[in-house]
Amino acid sequence: MRGRGGPPMGRGMMRPNFRPGPPFRAFIPHIPFDLVQCESTFPRAKSAPEEKPFTEALLKRNVDLTPSAPEQASVLALVSKIQTILDNLVVTPGAFEAAQIEEVRQVGSFKKGTMMTGHNVADIVVLLKTLPTKEAVAALGSKVQEELKLLEPIEGKVLTMLTNDSGFEMSSAEASVKCLITTIPPNLKKLDPELHLDGKIMQSHLAAIRHSRWFEENAQHSSIKVLIRLLKDLRNRFEGLQPLTPWIIELLSHFAVVNHPSRQPLAINGAFRRSLQLLSAGLFLPGSVGIADPCEQGTVRVHVVMTLEQQDQVCFTAQTLLRVLSHGGFKQILGLEGNASIATEMSVWEGVVVTPSDKAYEKIEKKEDEEEMEEDADES
Amino acid sequence: MAHFVYPVPANAQPGTAYSAQPAYVAATPAQAAYGTATPRPGQAYESYPAAHATTQYAYTTRTQVAVTPAVSYDQPKAYYQPAPAATAYTAAEAHYQTVDFYTAKPVFTTGAAGFTAQRPASQPKPPAVQVTTASQSYAYSAASTPAVNTYTSAYNNPTTTQSSISGTNIVPGYDAAVYSAASSYYQQQQAAKAIGTWAAKKPGTQPFKAKPKGPPKTPQLHYCDVCKISCAGPQTYREHLEGQKHKKKEAAMKGAATPVVRGGHNQLRCELCDVTCTGADAYAAHIRGAKHQKVVKLHTKLGKPIPSTDPVLVTTTGNSTVSVPKATSSTISAVGAGNKTVAKSTTSSVNIVKKVVATPKITFVGGTTLRTTGAKTEEVKAAPEPAAAAKPAEPMQTSSDDLKDDEHLNILGEKDVAPVGHEYIEEVRNEQGKTVSFNCKLCECKFNDPNAKEMHLKGRRHRLQYKKKVDPNLQVEVKPSIRARKVQEDKLRRQSQKEDFWRRREQEDRWRDEMRMEEEMYWEQHRRYDMEYMHRGPMGMMGPRGPFGAGPGPMIRKPESSDDRHVNAKHAAIYPTEVELQAVQTIVSACERALKQTSDVLADSDGPKPEEKKEIKKEEATTDAKQTEKVKEEPANTNRVLKGVMRVGVLAKGLLLHGDLNVNLVVLCSEKPTRTLLERMADSLPKQLATVTEDKYEVKRCVEEAAIIVTAEKEPNPSCTITLTSPVMREANTTEGETVSVKDPPDVLDRQKCLAALAALRHAKWFQARATGLPSCVIVIRILRDLCQRVPTWSHLSQWSMELLVEKCVSSGGPNMSPGDALRRIFECISSGIILPGGPGLYDPCEKDPTNALASLTNQMREDLTASAQHALRLVAFRQIHKVLAMDPLPPPRFPRQRFNNPRKRRHTGSGEGTEEGAEKKEKKEGEEATTEAAATTK
Repeated sequence: MRGRGGPPMGRGMMRPNFRPGPPFRAFIPHIPFDLVQCESTFPRAKSAPEEKPFTEALLKRNVDLTPSAPEQASVLALVSKIQTILDNLVVTPGAFEAAQIEEVRQVGSFKKGTMMTGHNVADIVVLLKTLPTKEAVAALGSKVQEELKLLEPIEGKVLTMLTNDSGFEMSSAEASVKCLITTIPPNLKKLDPELHLDGKIMQSHLAAIRHSRWFEENAQHSSIKVLIRLLKDLRNRFEGLQPLTPWIIELLSHFAVVNHPSRQPLAINGAFRRSLQLLSAGLFLPGSVGIADPCEQGTVRVHVVMTLEQQDQVCFTAQTLLRVLSHGGFKQILGLEGNASIATEMSVWEGVVVTPSDKAYEKIEKKEDEEEMEEDADES
Repeated sequence: MAHFVYPVPANAQPGTAYSAQPAYVAATPAQAAYGTATPRPGQAYESYPAAHATTQYAYTTRTQVAVTPAVSYDQPKAYYQPAPAATAYTAAEAHYQTVDFYTAKPVFTTGAAGFTAQRPASQPKPPAVQVTTASQSYAYSAASTPAVNTYTSAYNNPTTTQSSISGTNIVPGYDAAVYSAASSYYQQQQAAKAIGTWAAKKPGTQPFKAKPKGPPKTPQLHYCDVCKISCAGPQTYREHLEGQKHKKKEAAMKGAATPVVRGGHNQLRCELCDVTCTGADAYAAHIRGAKHQKVVKLHTKLGKPIPSTDPVLVTTTGNSTVSVPKATSSTISAVGAGNKTVAKSTTSSVNIVKKVVATPKITFVGGTTLRTTGAKTEEVKAAPEPAAAAKPAEPMQTSSDDLKDDEHLNILGEKDVAPVGHEYIEEVRNEQGKTVSFNCKLCECKFNDPNAKEMHLKGRRHRLQYKKKVDPNLQVEVKPSIRARKVQEDKLRRQSQKEDFWRRREQEDRWRDEMRMEEEMYWEQHRRYDMEYMHRGPMGMMGPRGPFGAGPGPMIRKPESSDDRHVNAKHAAIYPTEVELQAVQTIVSACERALKQTSDVLADSDGPKPEEKKEIKKEEATTDAKQTEKVKEEPANTNRVLKGVMRVGVLAKGLLLHGDLNVNLVVLCSEKPTRTLLERMADSLPKQLATVTEDKYEVKRCVEEAAIIVTAEKEPNPSCTITLTSPVMREANTTEGETVSVKDPPDVLDRQKCLAALAALRHAKWFQARATGLPSCVIVIRILRDLCQRVPTWSHLSQWSMELLVEKCVSSGGPNMSPGDALRRIFECISSGIILPGGPGLYDPCEKDPTNALASLTNQMREDLTASAQHALRLVAFRQIHKVLAMDPLPPPRFPRQRFNNPRKRRHTGSGEGTEEGAEKKEKKEGEEATTEAAATTK
C-alpha cells in the first residue's frame, strides 16, 4: 500500500477536521538509475575497456539482420500495389459496398525501416468508416485479392489471402502484407465482439498509426533503427525478453540512443549496453517511471502492458545478459556464437561464474496484496 | 381542397408521371363538387364516376400524345390503383364509413369499367414495361391519396346511411366485377409473364372464367364466410357453424361495427384472410404469401361457380389489397352484404358481370404492380418515394385529419428506405443446393421466404442493427418512444449531477488547500527536526523518525511508501540502543580525555608543556568542532608528539549500528609513529584513564595494527581502537623509496595501517561534508551496512566504497529522496553494472590520484554483488523489500478503509512479533481518537 504517509502523531494532530481515509493517493513514480544521466557523478575511475570488437560485432549483426535488397524490393512491390488498390477504394467509395475506407496507412517495421531479414511482412492499416464486421473484412480481402490479380496477371506469382483476427494478410511467395483493419474512433464503442473484430486489436491498430507517425518524426536516426533491429533480434532469441513489444523496443531504443544530457546520439555500442543497463536497472519494473508512451493521452507507462511476471522476466533476463556482456560474452549475446542458454544456465567467462538471475516475482500469497500490486502497476 | 391536392402530384411526379397530373386536377374539383352535393347520394354517385371517367379519359388522351403508349397505359393504372390504396391508408385507422362507401359503390365499378372500356385502344402495348410502371404507380398512389381522402371525408355521413340501403342491391355487382379482377389477378400469377400478348390473353381469360360461372356447383357452397374456411361437406359445415369458434367470430363481426376502429394504428388489413399487417411491406408480403394465395385459390375455386357470392366478397379485399389495402372494416359491411347475396339469385349479377369483364384489366394491372413492387429492389422505389412521402402531409391536414396524417407519413417513411446489408444475409441451402432459408447475421434471425428477407432488410430493426454494427452513418428514423424520453431525462439528470459534482469538487479543493497549509507547517517542523538530527550526529538520535524529504516544495509531498516504511522500520531495528550509545559515548569520551592527558604527559616528558592541550577536553561534543580546533592547534604545538585525537569511521559518521561497540579514534602524531611511541602511550593510558573515570578499562597494545585497543569491563563491553598515524606518512608516500630508507626510524609502525587511518580521517571529513546533510543517505548507509554484515556476498563491498556509492546515488537522484527510493536506487545502480568489470568503477574523491574505490574486488565478487543487487532490486519492485531487509513484512498502514476489512487486519497484526506491539499501540491510539471524536460529537 503505497499511499499517503505521515506518522501517527501527525494524523492525530490533524484529526479534528481531517476526513477519514486517504484523500488521494498520489502515485509518484520512481525514477530508475541511469548511468548515462549521471555520468558526472560517476566519473570513470579506470580507463574505458576496449570496445572495438564489440562495436564491430554489433554492426556485423545488424548487417545480417537487415533484409537484402531483393527482399526489400519484393515487399515494396507488393505494398505499393496494395496501397494503390486501397487508395483507389478510398477515392471511389462506391466501388466497394461492404465497407467504406477512410484512410490507408503504412505502419510497422517496413514503414519504419526496421524490417528484419526473413520476416518480409509489411503492415498496412486500413481505417474503415463503417464498422469492421468480419464479413466486411473478408469482402475487402477478396476485393483486394481480385484487384491484385488484375494488376498482376502473371500466373507465377501465387497470391493468397488469409483473414485473421486483425484483418487479412496477402502473401506472395517472397513477401506478405498484413492489412490491419480498424475503424474510426467513434465507432469503437459500438463494437460487438460477436460480429466485429476485437476492439482491442483495432485500438492497437490505431495506435500503430500513431506510432509510425511518431517514429517518422522522432526516431529517424539510424542508430535508433540499428538498435531496434538488434534488440528485436535479442528478443527473438532470448525467450525471457519475449514480452517486450515492438513498440516498447522502439521507445527503449529511442530512449537509449537519444535521451542523453547532451542530446548527442550515443554510439551503437553505448546505446546497446545502455538498453540492457536500463532494463537491468528496472526501467520496466512496477513503480518505475518507465517510458511514458508519447502516443497516448496522459502518461501511460508503456511497460504496463506487460504483466508483473513478464516485467520480472524481462528484467532478470536483461540482468543476466548484462552480466554476461560485461564479462565479455557479447558474441553469445548477439548470437554470433553459442546459443540462448546463457540467459538461463550457469556459464563461465574468464573464470567468473555467471549465475542467471532468477525470478523475484511471486504470485502474492494474499489476494489483497496482489490487488495492491496490480493497482500499483496500473497507476501511471 | 383542390388546391392542396394539386401541388402534391405536381411535386411528386417527375418525368413521365407528370402527365398524370392534369387529369388528376380535373378530377379533384369534381370531387369537391361532389362533396357539396352530399345530401343526395345517388346523384353524387352518378356525378362522381362521371368525373372520374372523364378525367381518365382526358388523361389517356393526353398521355397518348405526350408519352409513349406503353407509359400511358401504365399511368392510368397507377392512377386508378392508388385511389383505394390511399383510402386504405387513411381509413385504415378508423373510418368505417369510408369503407362502406367503397363497398356500396357500384358506380365506382362502373366508372372503372367505363374507364377500362375506353382503354383497350391504348392497352395492347407491351406488358413488359410494367416494371417501370411499378415505381410510378407506387409513387403515385401516395400522391393521389389525399385527393381521395378529401373526397371520402367529405362524404362520410351520407354514405353510411346509404350503404345500408343500397348495399344489398349494388354490392354484388361491384363485387362481381372486383372478383373477376381478382381471379384474373390470380390467373396472372399462375401464368406469370408467359403471356405473350396482352390483348390476346384477355379475351381468353374472360370467357374461361365466365364459363364455370354458368353451372353453379353446390358442393362448393360449404364455405364459411365468417371464418373464411371451406368445409368438406354439409355435415362438417354445419358442425362448424355450430362450433364455438365460429360463433365467437360471428359475434365479433356483428359487434365489430365500432370496435374494429381500434385497429387504428397504421395497420393494413387483408380482409380476405382477416390478417392485420403492420406495414405496406408486410402487407405485400402477406399478399404474396402462400397462405393468402391458398385462401385466394380456395375462394376462386369456390367463387367460380357462384361468382356473385362469397368470392366476390373475398376478392373485394383481394382487389383492395392488390391496390394496396382497403379499409379495415370493409369486411363487415361486405359480409353483411355477402350474407344476403348468398341467398340472392345468380342471375342478377349476370349483367354486372358483363360489365365487370373489362375490370380485370385494372385489377390485374394492380396485381402486377404489386408483384413487381415486391420483386423490385430499392432503387426503383427509392427515387419517387421520398417526394411522395413528403407531399401528403399538406393535403391531409386540409382534410383535418391529423392523426391519419402522421400515420400516413409513417407508412410511407417505412417504405422510403433502401434495403441495406445484403452481405449479412446468409443463405442456408439444403442438400440440393436450393435456398431453403435466410439468416441475417446482424439481427440473428431467420426467415424462409425471400420476401421476408426483403422486408427484413428494409425493416427498422435491421436498419438499427446495421447502423449499430456496420455503418453508423446510416439514417434510421427515430421512433419517439417512452424510452427515448427517458433517456433524455436521464441525460439531463446526469448533467445536473455532474455540475453538482464539480461544485463539490471545487469546494473540496479549496478546503484541501487550507489543509495543505496546515500540513505544510507540520512538515516544516519535521524538517527542522531532521536537520537538527543530521547535524547533531547519532548521539542525539531518539529512534525512528518520520519520513525524510518531506514537503519538497510545490504541493507534492511524497507519501510514505511501503518501501519507506519498511526501511524506516528496519532502520529503527538496527539502530543502537540507548545503553549501547551511552556505553560508546562513555568510552570514547574517557579515551579522548585520557589521550589528552597522555599527550600532556608525553609532551611534558619531551619538553615544555603548552597549556592549550586543555582545550581538547572540551571538544568532545562534535567531531566537527574538534577538527577545526585541531587545525588551529597544530601550528602552536609543533613540538608535541601527539597532536590530537579524532573520531573516525562509523563513530564519526554516525553510522553506529545495534551491536556496534567497536569505535575508532585516530591520534595524529607530529612524527611518524613508532613502536616506542605506542608503548609509551599504552603505558601511560591506563593511568590517565583512571584519573578521568571510575570505570575499569582494559588497555591492549596491538603493534601490528598500529593501535591501542581500550575495552571497557563494564557491560556491554564497548571497545575503542586508537590508531596512531601521522600526515608525514603520507608525504612519504610520494617519494617512497628514499623516505623509507633515509628518514624512517627503525621501529616505525606499519605504514599501510597508518595510511588507512589517515584515509579514514579524510573519509570522515568527506562524509560530514557530503553525506550527512543528504536526506536518506545516512539511513540507507546504515541499512546497507547491516546488509553487508548479514550477507556474505555483500561483505566484500568495503565500507568506504559503499558509502561512496550511496552518496553518489542519492545525490544524483534528485532532491529529497525518500529512504525507500534511495535504497531502490542503489540496487538499481549496482544492477546496471556500475561495479562490473566493464563499468566505470568508483572514483575516490579522497585520493589525489584517480583511484577506483572498488579496485580490491575480484571479478567474481563483482559478478556476485551485481547479481545479488539485481535480485534485490526486483524484490523491492515486487513488494518484497522485507526479504531484502531480512524482516517481517509490515502490515499496511491503517487507513479507516481497513476498518471494514477486519480479518485482514488481524492476520497482518499477528504475522510478526516485532510489529505486534506497534500495531497494538496504534490500535490504542485509534481507539483514543475514536473516543475523542465521539466526545466531540456528543458535545
